[in-house]
Amino acid sequence: MTRPDAAVRLRRLLTIIPWIVDHQGSGLDDLAARFGLTVAELERDLELVPFCGLPPYTPDRLIDCEIVDGRVYLRFAEYFGRPLRLTPAEGFSLLAAGQALLAVPGADENGSLASALGKLAGVLGGGDGMAVELGAARYLDPLRAAASASERVEIDYYTFGRDEVTTRRIDPRAVFAAAGQWYVDAYCHRADDDRLFRVDRVRGVRPTGEHFDPAASAGASEGGLFHPRPSDRRVTLLLNADARWVPESYPVESVEETPDGRLRVVLVANERAWLERLLLRLGPSAEVLEPAEVRAEAEEAARRLLVRYG
Amino acid sequence: MADRLERLTNLVAVLLDTRRPLTLEEIVERVPGYPGERESYRRQFERDKSTLREIGVPISLEALYAFDQETGYRINREDYELPALDLTEDERVALHLAVTAVRLEGGAESAGGAAGREALLKLGGFEGRAAPTLDSIAALPDVPALPALFDAYRHRARVTFKYRGDTRCLDPYGILFRNGHWYAVGNDCDREAIRAFRADRIESAIEPGPPRSFERPVGFDPASALRDEPWRFGDEAPVEALVLVSPTQAGWVEADLGSKAVAERRDDGSVVVRMAVTNRGAFRSFVIGLLDHAEVLGPPELRADMVAWLTALAGEAASSGGGAG
Repeated sequence: MTRPDAAVRLRRLLTIIPWIVDHQGSGLDDLAARFGLTVAELERDLELVPFCGLPPYTPDRLIDCEIVDGRVYLRFAEYFGRPLRLTPAEGFSLLAAGQALLAVPGADENGSLASALGKLAGVLGGGDGMAVELGAARYLDPLRAAASASERVEIDYYTFGRDEVTTRRIDPRAVFAAAGQWYVDAYCHRADDDRLFRVDRVRGVRPTGEHFDPAASAGASEGGLFHPRPSDRRVTLLLNADARWVPESYPVESVEETPDGRLRVVLVANERAWLERLLLRLGPSAEVLEPAEVRAEAEEAARRLLVRYG
Repeated sequence: MADRLERLTNLVAVLLDTRRPLTLEEIVERVPGYPGERESYRRQFERDKSTLREIGVPISLEALYAFDQETGYRINREDYELPALDLTEDERVALHLAVTAVRLEGGAESAGGAAGREALLKLGGFEGRAAPTLDSIAALPDVPALPALFDAYRHRARVTFKYRGDTRCLDPYGILFRNGHWYAVGNDCDREAIRAFRADRIESAIEPGPPRSFERPVGFDPASALRDEPWRFGDEAPVEALVLVSPTQAGWVEADLGSKAVAERRDDGSVVVRMAVTNRGAFRSFVIGLLDHAEVLGPPELRADMVAWLTALAGEAASSGGGAG
């Protein structure tokens, strides 16, 4: 059995020792903050260092670790002069995070982040074949500006699920990218509640001249974007093979393969317009099992669209 | 506990310091803390070795001398050491901001966020204090296949994996994040064409071939290889469709398709957009997404397609307007 604690602490030591070798006399406080440790944890790790080294483990072959006035000095640790290489997961994650931040509209393409990523990519290899796109939306800039200045704004918002545009005053707390979209996490005065708004569905932004207290409310976005409630409407569909993208694209409550190779999925569908789009797109590739009224709704939607072609 | 950590640290030091591979017996003799009995120290060493590999310490098994049967262990310095990046303090602050502001998140086993922080530690730790307002400006999904795909991409190793039930083969030229998904983009070796695979749909482990097994085309741009506007990517005879879009959706559609697609602006604020269609199913999906805010004006065959599709879905009560049971 591998004891995770030994692995974690070893990784830490192999990271901290090279830094100290390069930065003799670093303060314990600075080192602890830099490596995300408490001073006590750091001291516990450093206590071990003088017992490590090379055979025959005589004083000149052991690492010499001195802490004087809260400052750390290491000698005889040349073989630990460099940290370990990044694992593929580490290299990928850091590069991805950096490229994502650089993809935020308005990021400085020639700033410190860009140059750091250039150096990182140079060491990791691969060249310029990795790209992160967060997309843009027309009202992203004014909403980000309003959020960072805690300015109350009035927005025209298209509600996709109900297919209508409404005007509302919101207190935008944060603007962030997730699941391929930009969102505004805001307190909505019309709903008198916290709401997430998709920035690409904002049809207009106007200042109100008012400010809000950003500390006054917590935030709506904690824990993800979509939380089905027990009272939400569930729809059960039987999907043909060419509609297998549905459970990959939308949150579903269950997916089962039927003996004839179709998929039986249960999805949460409160918003009528959303469900209409899905069923009209799928057409004969989907069969509504229940509830029966959804079948009637889809038929009615098809008739409504046909009116334009009358 | 401290004993094992001490032994592991000494083991790394000894294997890094040695100029030739060391046999298991030599290791046990040099590194204090192994039990005396052969079977016990062998098992202990195996455990230590897997712990070291787990944290990324590259231990190689090599022949002791040329043409020799006997093997030993060592750590090659160039495999172990992170090359110097010479990051400035500002650059470390910027990377710190990035791992604070961008979350890689996935299921329970997701390690993406932690991996980014581990990487930062190796580059010199958390520099500066990340501004609280930047908390989570973006969340990207973490997908199990990504580290292996990334490794294959940077080493130019051909990979195979299972994808929608088939075994596929790819020379990964790049990795792209778009519309909320990660894609591996490159040359599909069986189809001999550029293809993009969604990383979260890969159903198996990534099997990498040897490194440097392909050349990446000069100037290859992963962003250009991925198919946007799905109605343009099909093999049906191309037609140019005209779609009338109501005022409420006109702005969004124009932003999505680009102003060049606008064929006509009407006084009421609606627009007519032009779309090059080679995939009718995808085109129909796009128009249906606009519900009653859009109408296919032409050509007549596409308009007829839409009417036929909707009529089939409208049920028997198409004319009476009554509900079906």
